[in-house]
Amino acid sequence: MNKKNPDQLLSQLLKNDHVGEPDKAIEDRLMYSFLLKNSESKLKQNSFGNFFGWIFSSQSLGLKTAMVSLVLFFSLFNNQLNFEPGSTATSDSLCIHRILVADTSHLVLPIDSIRNDSLN
Amino acid sequence: MQQIVSGDQAAFGKLYHRYKSRMYYYFYRMLGNSAEQANDFLQELFMKLIEKPESYNPAYNFSTWLYSVANNLCKNEYRRREVRQGYQASEIQETSDDCLNDYSVEPEQAVEKIFQTLELLGEEHRSAFLLRYREGFSIKEVAEILELPEGTVKSRLFYAKKLLAEKLEYLKDEIAF
Repeated sequence: MNKKNPDQLLSQLLKNDHVGEPDKAIEDRLMYSFLLKNSESKLKQNSFGNFFGWIFSSQSLGLKTAMVSLVLFFSLFNNQLNFEPGSTATSDSLCIHRILVADTSHLVLPIDSIRNDSLN
Repeated sequence: MQQIVSGDQAAFGKLYHRYKSRMYYYFYRMLGNSAEQANDFLQELFMKLIEKPESYNPAYNFSTWLYSVANNLCKNEYRRREVRQGYQASEIQETSDDCLNDYSVEPEQAVEKIFQTLELLGEEHRSAFLLRYREGFSIKEVAEILELPEGTVKSRLFYAKKLLAEKLEYLKDEIAF
């Protein structure tokens, strides 16, 4: 008996088998979904939603803590800041002392950005 | 795939047309010859591609990856069916018994009889059989798709062919072991 290679025979049988075509409506639905998905992603491109979502989520807590620590570190040790009590850095870089003393024996009043120690 | 990720609809359409018939056939044969379910699963498969195109691993051949996703969808469906009711086994047995008594099968009807007979072995054998003989994947590719060792795939194919040769008169005359 002339016996065939089983692999070839089965391949031939299955490849000649037809069970019909998928519903055309599927393609339409998929194309619509594809368009919808892409329009959504384009809208999101310029939004800060993802960033704020990340900021207020519980993800990457270590990274966030490190960032906050860094900001605090630079804030505390920045030479630009003057922690002398009662002194204020003004826009024209002149230092104005407003030292208020309880017994009024020492009073420095700012007058027209000129240092005036009238009671000394 | 990169074009699809960047929103190229024409690329998606081309991909759909290339694979729609093959995937439809796969679902049709894997899910009990139901056209309705084949359509539903075909849509679900491509919806996954639209929603998460980044889940494609470029290390894999695209068709291998697509069939592995399709196979996972089928496996989930079998699990759902098992949970829903356990009547299928007896139903399949009855169908298979009917077909086994029919020795006057024509070559045109042979494929139907083959799939009815393969119901005896279960979906694992059917998926390996389809991927190997319908889709023409190599043993290695079938193993990748089904996430099995190559030896297991070979064994499943051997038992599937053996059963077909034993049960179907048409194939008994044609298949040599």
